[in-house]
Amino acid sequence: MSVELGHFALVLALALALVQSSVPLAGARLGSPSLMRVGEPTAIAGLGLVAIAFAVLTLAYVRSDFSVLNVWENSHSAKPLLFKITGTWGNHEGSMLLWVLILSLFGALVAAFGRNLPPTLRANVLAVQGLIATAFLAFILFTSNPFTRLVPAPMQGRDLNPILQDIGLAIHPPLLYLGYVGFSIAFSFAVAALIDGRIDAAWARWVRPWTLAAWAFLTGGIAMGSYWAYYELGWGGFWFWDPVENASFMPWLAGTALLHSAIVMEKRSALKIWTVLLAILTFSLSLLGTFLVRSGVLTSVHAFATDPTRGVFILAILVFFIGGALALFALRAAALAPGGLFHPISREGALVLNNLLLTTVTATVLVGTLYPLVVEAVTGEKISVGAPFFNLTFVPLFLPLLAVVPFGPMLAWKRGDLAGAFQRLHLAFAAATVVAFLSFFLVDRASALAALGIGLGLWLVFGALTDLAVKSGVGKAGPAVALRRLKGLPLSVFGTALAHAGLGLAVLGVVCVTTLEEEHILTMQPGQTVEAGDHRLRFEGLRPFTGPNYTEEQAHFALFGADSLRRGSIVSSKRLYTARGMPTTEAGIRTIGLSQLYVSIGDETADGGLVVRVWWKPQVTLIWIGALVMMLGGMVSLCDRRLRIGAPARRRAEAAAGEAA
Amino acid sequence: MLLFWVLAALMTFAAALAVMLPFLRRREEATAGSAHDLAVYRDQLAELEQELARGLISRPDAQQARAEIGRRILRLQEEEKAAGQSVQARRAGTVRAIAAAAVLAVPAVSWGLYAFLGSPGLPALPLAARLNADPAQAPLEELIARAEAHLADNPQDARGWEVLAPVYARLGRFGDAAAAYRRTIALAGPSAARHAALGEALVGEASGIVTADAEAAFAEALGLDADNPRARFFIAMARAQEGKTEEARALWQQMAAELPPDSPWREMAGQAAASLSAAGPSEADIAAAQDMSPEARREMIEGMVAGLDARLREEPGDAEAWRRLLRSYVVLDRREEARAALQRALAAFGADSREGQALAEFARELGIDDEGR
Repeated sequence: MSVELGHFALVLALALALVQSSVPLAGARLGSPSLMRVGEPTAIAGLGLVAIAFAVLTLAYVRSDFSVLNVWENSHSAKPLLFKITGTWGNHEGSMLLWVLILSLFGALVAAFGRNLPPTLRANVLAVQGLIATAFLAFILFTSNPFTRLVPAPMQGRDLNPILQDIGLAIHPPLLYLGYVGFSIAFSFAVAALIDGRIDAAWARWVRPWTLAAWAFLTGGIAMGSYWAYYELGWGGFWFWDPVENASFMPWLAGTALLHSAIVMEKRSALKIWTVLLAILTFSLSLLGTFLVRSGVLTSVHAFATDPTRGVFILAILVFFIGGALALFALRAAALAPGGLFHPISREGALVLNNLLLTTVTATVLVGTLYPLVVEAVTGEKISVGAPFFNLTFVPLFLPLLAVVPFGPMLAWKRGDLAGAFQRLHLAFAAATVVAFLSFFLVDRASALAALGIGLGLWLVFGALTDLAVKSGVGKAGPAVALRRLKGLPLSVFGTALAHAGLGLAVLGVVCVTTLEEEHILTMQPGQTVEAGDHRLRFEGLRPFTGPNYTEEQAHFALFGADSLRRGSIVSSKRLYTARGMPTTEAGIRTIGLSQLYVSIGDETADGGLVVRVWWKPQVTLIWIGALVMMLGGMVSLCDRRLRIGAPARRRAEAAAGEAA
Repeated sequence: MLLFWVLAALMTFAAALAVMLPFLRRREEATAGSAHDLAVYRDQLAELEQELARGLISRPDAQQARAEIGRRILRLQEEEKAAGQSVQARRAGTVRAIAAAAVLAVPAVSWGLYAFLGSPGLPALPLAARLNADPAQAPLEELIARAEAHLADNPQDARGWEVLAPVYARLGRFGDAAAAYRRTIALAGPSAARHAALGEALVGEASGIVTADAEAAFAEALGLDADNPRARFFIAMARAQEGKTEEARALWQQMAAELPPDSPWREMAGQAAASLSAAGPSEADIAAAQDMSPEARREMIEGMVAGLDARLREEPGDAEAWRRLLRSYVVLDRREEARAALQRALAAFGADSREGQALAEFARELGIDDEGR
C-alpha cells in the first residue's frame, strides 16, 4: 500500500477529530440527540484511520522503505524483524503516533461501550477526547510528521539507537502509553462533568474502571522500564530518580490517589469535587511527562530529538488543557453538590489520608523534578536533584502511608473502629515483627533499618492476607464455610488484597537490595575467581562474537554454588553496533531463587586483565514481581462485574429480553 | 497513482458517512440520565445490605446510610421533574446547519491539508523491490548505492571496484574514485591504465594540481607502459605547473606528433602545447609547494584559484578555465562562490548559448544549482 495513504488517513483523522470535538458539544448545548450522537461514529472511524496510518508506518519499517524520512533516520535493513517493528515507536514521531493510536482506542472504547451513559455526559466526554486527539494530531502533522518523504531515497538507513534495540522497546512504551493515555478518559469525564455542571453516582462508577485499567498498565509500564534500565544500562540500579522516570511516576502516584478517591465517590457519593480535581491533575501530570520527555527540555535516552518548535507546541497543548480544565474547575466546582458525611476514623477517612499522603508525595516528586529546570532557566546554573533529595523527602512521607495501608480495608464505612481493626491485624503485625527480629539477629550484615523495612514489607503482605481471611470469616466460621465465603467474595476484594500485597513485595525487594546488596569491583585475569553472595565466579576469558548488526567481546564466567558445584555460566559483553559505531554493555544476569547475580564488564587493562563489576542482589526480583502482582490486582478488580458496566446487569437483561421479544 | 486517489476518496466518503450516520438513523429519543443514577443507587442499597450481613458496617450506621441514599433518590426525582419542565425547544435549522457544516468539513479539511502536507505522486519504495528492479530504469545515484551496498558485502570484488571508480570520477567524487582505483590495483594487480586513472583522480581531488602522489602514480603507469597517453599528458602538465614550460611544451608536442590521428589525446596534447603561455605560477611558487603542510598547500591552491578567478574577470571567454574554477570552488567547499562564478560565466556566454548550457550542465553534475535564476 502506498505510504501516502497512511499520511492521508492521518490527515483525515484530524478532520474527524475536529468534528468530534465540536459537534457533540454543540449538540449538548442545543439539546439535539442527533448532534450529540455524532461523537460515537467519528470516534470509532477515527480509531480506524489512525490504525491505518500506524499500520502503514509499521509496514514501511518492515519493508525498509527509506523514501520515508522517519524510516531512514531510525531503521536499517540488517536489523532483525522484531526491532524493525518496534522501531516504529522507538523514535519521536512514531511514538507520538502510538500515543494518538492509544488515545483513539480509548475514545472508541467509550463510544462503543458507553451506550448506558447519560447522553449529554457521553457527548461531552467524546468531545473532550476529540479535543485532545485534535491537539496531538495537529502536533504530529505540523511538527513531527512521520510520513515526511525523502527524495531521492537512500539505499540504507541510519539504524536505531542500539540501547533501544531490545525486547523492552516492544513492551515498555505501549504499556506506559496505555497508562498515560488511559488517564485521559478520567480527565475527559471530569471536564465533561464540569461542562455539564452536574456529577452523579454513575460518573464515579464509569471513571473507576478506566482509571483502574490505566493504573494497571502504568504500573506494568514503569516496572518494565525499570527492569529494562536495570539490565541494559549496566549500572546495576533499578531506579535513578531520573526526571524521565519521575515523569511517569507522578501520574502513577496521582492515579493511585484517584483510584482510591473514586471508590469513596462511587460507594458513598462523597469527595466528588476532590475526585474531579484529582482526575484533572492526574492527566495533567501525564501531559507534563509527555512535555518533559518530548520537548527536549530533558536530554536523555527518551528525548529522541530536540526541536524548539515541538517544545513550544507541546507547551501550548499543556497550557490549554491544564489551564482550561483548572479554570473550568474554578468556575464550576462550587456547583457540584457535596455528598455523604463520614467520621475521620472510617474507610472514607482512611482513603482521605491515603489521598493526602499520595498527593503530598506527588508534589514532592514534582518539586524535585522541576526545581533543577527552574534554577537553570533563572540562573543558568545546572544542578541535579538526585537520590539524596528523594531519600530525605519521599521516603519519610511514603513510610507512614505504607504503615497504614493494611488498616484501610479493615475499617467500616462511615464510622470505623480502630481498636477492632488493630485486633484483627494483630496476627499479621506479630508475624511481621517476628520475621523482622529474626532477620536482624540471624542474617549477618542486616542493619536495624533493613530489619524494619523487611518487617514493613511483610506487614503489607500479611495485612492483605488478613483482609481476605477476615472477610471470609476464618476463625469465626468453620473451614468449609470460610472457603465458601472466600469464593463468594467480590473480585474487587481480591484485587485490593493483591495490589496491597504486591506493594508489600515490591517494598521487600527494594529494602533487601538496597541494604543487603554486595558489590565487587576488581580486575580479573582469566582463571581468577571472585566470591559474591554464596556463589563463586571464575573468569574464563574473552571471546569475540558477531551478531546480525553488531560485534561484541563476550566475557565468559563459570558459576559455582556454595557446594563448589558448577552451576552453569554467565556471559557479559561489550557490544559495538557498526551502523552508528555506538558501544553498549550487555550485563550478564543469573537469577538464583529470587536473587540475582549481576555481572558487568569494563575495559581491558594493559596486562591482559579485565575490569569486572559483580553485584549480588538479594531478592531483587521481588521489586518487579511485586509490581506485576499489583498489576494483576488491578486486572482482577477490573473483572469485577459491578465495575465493568455502567448500569447493573439487570437492565441489560431486560434490554436483551426486549430485543428477543 | 489512480488507485491512491480512488482509495483516498473512498476513505473520505467513509469518514463523512460516519459523521452523517446519526442523522440517517432518525430516532430522536433520549433515555433519561436519571435511570442510570437510580440503578447505581439501588446497587448501593443492595451492597449496603451485604456489608451489613458481613458485619462491615454497624446497624445504626447502615440505617443512616440508607437514609442518605434515599435522600439522593428523592433529589434525583425532583431534578427529573424540573428537567421535564424545561425541555429545550429544538432549533432544527441550527442543528441542520451544524450537521451540514460538519459533513462538508471532513473532505474540505482533509483534502486541503493533504494538498499542503502530502506528496501524492510519490510511490512507496520498499528496499527489496528496489533491489530487484530493472537497473536500466534506476537513476545513477541509486546504481551507485547498489554497487556500494554490494561492495560492502563483497569487498574482494575487484571488478566491482573497477566499474565503480570511473563513475565516481565522472560525478566529481574524486576521493572515492582514487580509493576505488587503489582497491582495484590491490586486488587485481597493477596496470598502466589503472595507475594512470588513479593519478587523474588524485589530480581531480587537488582541483587540477598534479600533486606528488599523482605524479608517482603516473610514473608507475609509465613504468608499466611507457606509451600510456594519459600518464604522459599529466606528466607534461606537472612540468607545466612546476613552471618548466619548455619541457612541458616539448613533451606535449612530442605526444601530438607520435599519437595516431584517432586518439583523443593527440588533439588535447596539441591544444595544451599551444595554450602554454607565460600565465601561471612562478618557478618559486612551485618550488615552495613541493614540501608543504596540507594547510599551507591548501592556502596556496586557494591563492591560485583566486588568480584564476581574477583572470576570468578580465578574459571571460575560456570555457575550460571556467570549468576548472567551478570545480576548484566545489572541492574547496566554497559553494557560494561557485554559484557566483557560474552566474558570471553564464552572463559571459549567454545562458542559452551552447557553451552556457554545457557549463550549467557541468555545474549541476558538481552539485551547484543555479538558484539565481
